[in-house]
Amino acid sequence: MDPLAELKQTFFQECEELLGALEQKLQLLDEGSSDPEDVNAAFRAIHSIKGGAGAFGCTDLVGFAHVFEAALDHLRSGRVALGDAPFALFLRCSDAVSDLVNAARNDEVAPVRPDLLAALEQVGQAKAAPSAAPAAPAADAPPGIAALGNLLALVDSKMGAPAPAAPAKEDDGWDDEPVAAAPVRRLGYDVRIKITPEADLFRRVIEPRVAIGILPAEEIVSVACDLSHVPPLEALDVTDCHMRFEVMMRTALSAEEIVSKFDFTLANEEFEVEVLADAEEEAAPAAPAEVPQSVAADLSAILARLGPSADAAPQPDIHPVAAPVAPVAAAAVAAAPAAPRAPMRPAANDAAAARQRQAVSVRVDLDRIDRLMNLVGEIVITQSMLVECVRSLPYDVYAKTAEGILTLSRQTRELQDHVMAVRAQPVKAVFQRMPRLVRELAQTLGKEVKLVLEGENTEVDKTIIEELADPLTHMIRNSMDHGVETPEERIAAGKHPEGTIKLIAEHRAGRIVISVTDDGRGIGRDRLLAKAKSRGLVGADEKLAPEEIDQLIFAAGLSTADAVSDISGRGVGMDVVRRNVESLGGRISVDSEPGRGCKFTLALPLTLAVLEGMVIRCGVDRYVIPIASVIETQHLANTPIEHLTFGQEVLRWRGEITPLHRLGAVMGSAGTRDENIIIIAETERGGNVGIAVDEIVGQQQVVVKSLESNYGTVNGASAATILGDGLVALILDVDSMLRVAASGVRQPVPELKLAG
Amino acid sequence: MSLQLSEKHFTSAQPESAARRIVTFRVGDRTFGIDVGMVREIKGWQATTPLPHAAPHVRGVLNLRGVILAVYDLRTAIGLGSTEATATHVIVVVDVEDKTAGLLVDSVSDIVDVPVSAVRPAPDLERDEHGLIEGLVLLDTEIVALLDLAAVIRDGGDNQDKQLRVA
Repeated sequence: MDPLAELKQTFFQECEELLGALEQKLQLLDEGSSDPEDVNAAFRAIHSIKGGAGAFGCTDLVGFAHVFEAALDHLRSGRVALGDAPFALFLRCSDAVSDLVNAARNDEVAPVRPDLLAALEQVGQAKAAPSAAPAAPAADAPPGIAALGNLLALVDSKMGAPAPAAPAKEDDGWDDEPVAAAPVRRLGYDVRIKITPEADLFRRVIEPRVAIGILPAEEIVSVACDLSHVPPLEALDVTDCHMRFEVMMRTALSAEEIVSKFDFTLANEEFEVEVLADAEEEAAPAAPAEVPQSVAADLSAILARLGPSADAAPQPDIHPVAAPVAPVAAAAVAAAPAAPRAPMRPAANDAAAARQRQAVSVRVDLDRIDRLMNLVGEIVITQSMLVECVRSLPYDVYAKTAEGILTLSRQTRELQDHVMAVRAQPVKAVFQRMPRLVRELAQTLGKEVKLVLEGENTEVDKTIIEELADPLTHMIRNSMDHGVETPEERIAAGKHPEGTIKLIAEHRAGRIVISVTDDGRGIGRDRLLAKAKSRGLVGADEKLAPEEIDQLIFAAGLSTADAVSDISGRGVGMDVVRRNVESLGGRISVDSEPGRGCKFTLALPLTLAVLEGMVIRCGVDRYVIPIASVIETQHLANTPIEHLTFGQEVLRWRGEITPLHRLGAVMGSAGTRDENIIIIAETERGGNVGIAVDEIVGQQQVVVKSLESNYGTVNGASAATILGDGLVALILDVDSMLRVAASGVRQPVPELKLAG
Repeated sequence: MSLQLSEKHFTSAQPESAARRIVTFRVGDRTFGIDVGMVREIKGWQATTPLPHAAPHVRGVLNLRGVILAVYDLRTAIGLGSTEATATHVIVVVDVEDKTAGLLVDSVSDIVDVPVSAVRPAPDLERDEHGLIEGLVLLDTEIVALLDLAAVIRDGGDNQDKQLRVA
């Protein structure tokens, strides 16, 4: 992949996270949060999306994001009170941004939403203070190199600002400041702000003009740009920021207020605020004298600086160290006086801490983690191989070695846990798609629904995360469509007109349990039963317990919706969900209370990459049966077995008639069989089955390896694993095995098998 | 018109000089070949785990450095019965379509460069009922049958009763 495409992909990945954050913050604000950090976070998110979109030329996205950003800025600046802000509109806009991002990702033409744009532009207008009408947003102002031009323009305009005849620019791309503010001399004191951005400033999609532009324009006396840190041309990376700024202000703002203005553009160590003196009596600021010099160091100065160094480079014998030293010395001079003056440092607030935390995380290709996981799997296998070797050693050697092996196995297990933890992701990745779904469905269906998310940070392996989206979408759709009533019906039933759907994730007994609970009408049992009878799924005279009727919702081809709707009701919903969930080794169940609501519970293993298994032997072949499906094991000799017709055997277990299958016969194991162990296993339908095997070899954690990737599906097995001796063993899938047994597929003639 | 002709002449002339690099291996007294590019590695026989209800030429699966792949018995695929695998037998690990597979053969003989023009078309249907052979090459005294690996893996199981006559 070429680097640009790679960058672009990273951008879209980031967009997903940013969109999630945007939506979440807007949601919080909608629910009445008054935390300015939420507003800032939402603003930051859309700002970063805009920045990246500009860099990749997604003009539609930039245009929309810009207007959105401008609207959010009104909130941030307090021009629009939080209480008055149309968060429903903002949420719809965040959906629209998400659409635009998807369109840009797929190189499609994005749907333009003039209605939303118009509504967004209204946001500032209605509430805008009459004195400072916000500048019309420049829809084509992508940050990046263009920012440099804007920046120099800013330096110029700030320079010109003290002069009363400063030309009033109609639109200079500055959305954060009122244009051509009257140069009223304010009372206050002089403040010097030194901005020393880290080199990665641009890569954080922060522009100096935005950072500085946050300061009240009319209070800025001067802005000076220090270009002494620009390296020689050959070492120049244009994506690094080498500029330092010194902003002189005469302001009534306290140092803390100024610090807080940089809250979300600059890190704490990137700027310092220094209060110089009370300036009420002083006439002219001291700065202007030196400012022209600094400003003169504009682009032409950069070029002038670069010139000699570049020239000098090919002839290193003249002044070999002169060129590199100069910037360093300058930096030292600049840094030295800063320390003893004990400048005002911003207090460490939460936002800054969060930024710090982000800085230490790394983005890792999933492939690499998978490879790491594979390697750990190999180590686990090698280790169990060692264990087998050690057994054959003489006793005194064995004792010592065994101790080492024991430590090794503990460490391997720990290593495995850690690698699994790296792969683990919070379910948030899936949960955050749901609010939009609910919003859109609510609009389509004319229902009022509040979605409550809990346990979003519950972590689960990425293999499971990927599989969660579909079942959850179906479950939510089902609740929206069939569960929650219309506001009128709800009022008539004495409920709050707004329905509630709770989406809760938690860890329980080594599984992740996700429930979708609604407070709607519950399952219409009479209708469900009638329908099931009309389809012949249930006998006409059969009596079913209420709970049994509820489970019919998972039967194929059943839907209680009166009319087939767009959302659900085609009867392909819940049975598909159940099948998918079960194929992952999970379970789904439903509890319903008529008139009070309905609760779907989904339980899935925490990972699909490893499982706790029982290794069993049949003839010469070994298999692994997931511990999760084993209920009990017992000796065949102690179990009464009865023979039915067609060779079907049954056993009596805990007073129930349980079918018995001989694994060797079903799977066609080679070698002579001596079946004397019965494993009682649980099937997906909740029934039990006895499986006769020769021997239980042991119990261990096994790494799940796909059979499909290089072969295909194997009846009776869900996957394979590698045992301690390096040989492959199939991981049995009890239900699939039963299907094999039922279809009467007999294995090919055993004589053909000469496996060595 | 003349331009077209010369172009045509040029394109047909180019492969004359092109060569295919072939790995040859033996099953019984037959010699087979596949393009060297498809071969990932060659390893000695290693015990496989049989798969239930698989086609007869599927010997089972093995673990190749953490990846599970299926091993196909070429002898069974060409209708000569099952190989009695010993330590001297060889598994040719190949990339076929998007999968990795093992091909169980008696021994690997050589790597040879064969001019493309020397590859003759596959024998007619009467002689190769299952289309396992992509082409034939005459090398010194022996005939090398170039295998269509995808077909061997897919259809080889149908062949256990019929002898494949290639020589």
